[in-house]
Amino acid sequence: MLRYVIRRLLLIIPTMFFVALITFSLAHAAPGSPFDRNANRPMSQETIDRINRYYGVDKPIPEQFVTYMGNLLRGDLGLSFTRQRPVVDIIGQGIGTTFQLGLGALVFALAFSIPLGIISALKQNTLVDYSSMLVATIGTTIPSFVIAIFLIYIFGVNLNLLPFVGWGSWQHMVMPMFVLGLGAGAFLTRITRASMLEAIRQDYVRTARSKGLRERTVIVGHALKNALIPVATIIGPATAGLITGSFIIETLFNVPGMGRLYIISILARDYPVIMGTTLLYAFLIMMANLTVDILYGVLDPRIKVR
Amino acid sequence: MATAATAQQQQRAGEMNVIARKQRSLWGDAFYRLIRNRAALVGLIVIAFAALTAIFADFDLLGIRIKLAPYDPLAQNGPKQLMEPIWTKFFGSKFTDPAYIFGSDELGRDILSRLMYSSRVSLIIGLVPVSIVLAIGLSVGMLAGYVGGVVDDVLMRITDVVYAFPDLLFVIIIVATLRGTPLGDAYNGLLVIFVGIAVVNWVGVARLVRGQVLSVKHREFVEAARAIGAGPGRIMRTHIFPNILAPIIVTVAFAIPGAMLTESILSYLGIGIRPPTPTWGVMINEGFIVFSTSAWPVLLPSMCISIVLLAFTFVGDGLRDALDPRSKM
Repeated sequence: MLRYVIRRLLLIIPTMFFVALITFSLAHAAPGSPFDRNANRPMSQETIDRINRYYGVDKPIPEQFVTYMGNLLRGDLGLSFTRQRPVVDIIGQGIGTTFQLGLGALVFALAFSIPLGIISALKQNTLVDYSSMLVATIGTTIPSFVIAIFLIYIFGVNLNLLPFVGWGSWQHMVMPMFVLGLGAGAFLTRITRASMLEAIRQDYVRTARSKGLRERTVIVGHALKNALIPVATIIGPATAGLITGSFIIETLFNVPGMGRLYIISILARDYPVIMGTTLLYAFLIMMANLTVDILYGVLDPRIKVR
Repeated sequence: MATAATAQQQQRAGEMNVIARKQRSLWGDAFYRLIRNRAALVGLIVIAFAALTAIFADFDLLGIRIKLAPYDPLAQNGPKQLMEPIWTKFFGSKFTDPAYIFGSDELGRDILSRLMYSSRVSLIIGLVPVSIVLAIGLSVGMLAGYVGGVVDDVLMRITDVVYAFPDLLFVIIIVATLRGTPLGDAYNGLLVIFVGIAVVNWVGVARLVRGQVLSVKHREFVEAARAIGAGPGRIMRTHIFPNILAPIIVTVAFAIPGAMLTESILSYLGIGIRPPTPTWGVMINEGFIVFSTSAWPVLLPSMCISIVLLAFTFVGDGLRDALDPRSKM
């Protein structure tokens, strides 16, 4: 088990290296920088050269990459092109908000998806089952930003109940968390239902019943415990979905988190910020997947991790 | 179906004491199951409707000219800005104009015409990049699965890296960094979206195909084909390919709406198709400025996206059930 964890952790290093290499090459393959496209402020060649030297973009690209990777190992992500501040500071400012949003969404998703999935499975082919499956289908299919638009229209514009710009009070958080959690939760509902349906047909459930255990004990203690194992594995990709979903939702609701920062940097071609956030996103997703894979091995002794 | 059986079949069936049925191929059977699924049928009808609207929004080929879109989607009409859809008249709206059935946007452009032209972009986005993905994914996946060895190793290493990248993030980086280059600006940004979607998604198809090939490669019918002297090309084409087709079809059925969604998200974020070219995502992006006072320019394209994506999901689910009868419990 320990060897598996170490191996997986070591595997993150080359993957991160390639992620950095791809992003860096793409960013520098693109022509132009934020400095030479400003029609309102024509700059002399001297000024441009000085700025390029300041940000270290006058050197050959391979050298820049080596410098960047060296700095990265020391936790330095360079200077933002547009904000004249270290990228680490800028990310640090937004990451708390993004985590708050992501965590709220995840808690919401788990809170409604698992009970709903269980009830659907226990009442298979009833009205309850059909309606929760309909909700789940809608939640997985209709994109989050479209659902957000409908919610803003109803609760923000028409009923004037909830603010839909900014972040801070709980009223601000309700809609973004709901929308972000809905997609992941809908997916988890489907998985929980399928997994529960399989579990309640297993021999050990029949055995538990024939032993005369109470129905509740059979469902909660025997079926559910096993049914949740596949669900746990999906939480990894679901978290990844929450992370990437956050930049759409943050842009839409004007939440000052990492996601909105990412989109703003992309539009402004602020490559150091783009690099920094991409690496952080990739790292978070890999860690989420790793955590879940380890959890999988712990939860289900039948799984032999290699 | 028994009525369709010929008299001769009926007679033979009578002799053999079984009920005569018209024979159907495996694929015909699957199609029948798909059509019997009510949600999938509705989905198919919606998709057909959307495709026809897209094609005939402005059709001009071989001397046949059909123009369903009432206006030029780019034509601005200053005095007729932000007209509301005509049905709002029944709810007391004073800002309707019978000439603009779905209303007009903040520049006085006809929303109905823009929605119709948008479906064209969605149709193209659903077909072209997915075909590229399928072509690359199928060839690489089959090669890796059947030949194995170095090809397989290289493929698996590439997939590891691409899998670590969140899909959407990767597409955004590709599309965003290529903006301003000739590739990025070609066809108002359409081409670079093709590239982005193709680069990110072929890996998933290749992995699926590889897995499927591995699972059928050692089956008896492949061995039999090899025993009678069939070459690798022939085995892959006529023996393996038809047997792994079902999961590939299902994947494609979900890849098409996935590609459409990617385009919408990119355009909504302002890095996809360039305005003024209408797409549903662009319409949402542009209309958002006036959203709190006038919601229709955003609500209508949002509804279109939802309906089309739901239709594809219903068809995809239907296909999965139809092609794999075992999955039905």
